[in-house]
Amino acid sequence: MRFTSVMNFKVVALVVLALSMAGCGTSVKRMDTGEVKDLSGAWNDTDSQLVSKEMIDDVLSRDWIAEFKGEKKRKPAVIVGEMRNLSHEHINTSTFVQEMQRNLINSGKVKFVASATEREEIRGERADQDIHASEATRKAAGKEKGADFMLKGTINTIIDAASGDQVRFYQVNLTLISLVDNEIVWNGEKKIKKFVERSSLRF
Amino acid sequence: MKQASSRQGGMPANWLGGLYRAGLVALLLFGMQGCATYSSSFGVIENNLITKQYDVALKNLDKQKDDKKEHVLYLLNKGMIERMKRDYSASNASFEAAKKEMDSLYAASVSENALSVMVNDSTVSYSGDSYERIMLHLYMALNYLELNDPGSARVEVLQIDEDMREFAEKSADKKKIEDAFALYLGGMIFEELGENSDAMISYRNAYNVYKKYQSDYGMAMPNELKSDLLRMAKRNGLNDEYRRYKAEFGMDVPAGNGADQGSLVFIFNNGLAPIKREKAINSMDPKSGTMVRIALPYYESRKNAAMAARVTVNSLQRNTELVENIDAVAKKNLDIHMPAIIARSVARMVVKAAANNRAKELARNNNNKDDQLLGMFGALALQVATVVTERADTRSWLTLPGNIQMASMMLAPGSYSMKVEVLGPGMQVLAAQDYPNIVVRKGHMTFVTQHYVTN
Repeated sequence: MRFTSVMNFKVVALVVLALSMAGCGTSVKRMDTGEVKDLSGAWNDTDSQLVSKEMIDDVLSRDWIAEFKGEKKRKPAVIVGEMRNLSHEHINTSTFVQEMQRNLINSGKVKFVASATEREEIRGERADQDIHASEATRKAAGKEKGADFMLKGTINTIIDAASGDQVRFYQVNLTLISLVDNEIVWNGEKKIKKFVERSSLRF
Repeated sequence: MKQASSRQGGMPANWLGGLYRAGLVALLLFGMQGCATYSSSFGVIENNLITKQYDVALKNLDKQKDDKKEHVLYLLNKGMIERMKRDYSASNASFEAAKKEMDSLYAASVSENALSVMVNDSTVSYSGDSYERIMLHLYMALNYLELNDPGSARVEVLQIDEDMREFAEKSADKKKIEDAFALYLGGMIFEELGENSDAMISYRNAYNVYKKYQSDYGMAMPNELKSDLLRMAKRNGLNDEYRRYKAEFGMDVPAGNGADQGSLVFIFNNGLAPIKREKAINSMDPKSGTMVRIALPYYESRKNAAMAARVTVNSLQRNTELVENIDAVAKKNLDIHMPAIIARSVARMVVKAAANNRAKELARNNNNKDDQLLGMFGALALQVATVVTERADTRSWLTLPGNIQMASMMLAPGSYSMKVEVLGPGMQVLAAQDYPNIVVRKGHMTFVTQHYVTN
């Protein structure tokens, strides 16, 4: 009987220990922003939205639009170039780019032209129309609108880690370059910093 | 009288005394663990790979899908077989899932480790050895290169760097665990993306680790790396370094490294990584008459007749050279882990012997003759269970190649047909394969990999 009671005590102790462990998974504390749901600490939709919103607000509030309008008497046409992912994570840059593009178009302050891959598809359709579409609805080639500016950028990360904890530092840089003379008319930067704590024990 | 009453009324107390308790523990232990070790179940899949029946291999592998503790290995093997059949997107999906699973196993499990003290090391979920983790990134990078996505391959290179730092921090001596080919490939990816200074740093780091490989494994520095170092040092204007390499290697930047050319890089995954087997010592403790057993893993190299591969494009011919000896790396890695494995095994032996002795003692001290007998049966069952469950942890990533070899050549931009011949010990051709329509672009690298498994 003594053996059993000792065993029972051990079992209870183990269960108590196990239950107390169950609470500590990976925990993420975000710095410098309000309420956000983070799971792994990796780049997510919130980061994408935050960055694109801030960038758009910035790019639309600068002088280059007014200067262009004053000179050319029309809205500038923008194209999205390459968004290079230089970070240590597989980041879907196309959703980020699309988010920016949508916000820019909806602002009504700039015009957007299709990207290189989209253009290929549309040209294919136009060539097809040339043969098959009726005279009245046919769209002629050579009437494309050329872009005035190209938007391109990079996503970078710096990671500092010690005993399972990490500080992840993301830096997004965007530049708007004039296609006429390679002049950089705008340079935007947004930084995000996250503290990721990883538990060293699980149940 | 007393006997009868105890049988009817107080049945649990004495009856359970010996047989029940010891026997129950024995049953539990049996239930935990099948008798075969992980590695012994892999023969069928290996044969599928030799006969290149990759779909059959995947089907056979799917039988291991529900083994929760080996799920990382299931995903790693799946990804590797998928890339053998050249389905690189599927392979990366499997590898990415393996990576996620490894991350979730980052925290050590209290319950699994507690169990491993009673049963064996295989009760702990397998989260991948450090060299396997680096190989996972390396093969994902190679998959991205085959998919013509060097930007994503670059992400894997950065993750390798991050992991190496983490391993260094976790290891006892804080020494950085470095993988020469992972660094070398990283250099090539940076160069492909036009990042010359990062490429130079990676080549230089690879050079340093290959020097260690030279003393650790007797492995020569790849000639390809020598010419890459020379070329990159010259391009970056590092004249002192360039002169130093020139003197050390006794060679200069090879002719024909013109800016109007592209390069074709062929990576030959040769054979399979070594397999863990079990060696066990069974012995009797003369004092108590208790059986004790210690079972430890060791690596056994896989049989492989292939020595190298010969790559032919038009009139150009190159033999592959060794860039990574996974067989040796795995063995060295196990050597590093061995003291801990032995310590755990000995601790387990002590726990198991104590349990056995206690069960016997309880049975012997029982005043009732029948209960004593039953108690002895229980103690015997426990004895058998503790010995039988003492198995070595023979889990490892078995579809990794035994070694990685590489050959590269500079070509004018265009579409080529490449012939690869696998060479045996006497340089005789064991197998040949043609790769049509390999496109080489100016100033870029085209990567082609092949995994050859033979016995």
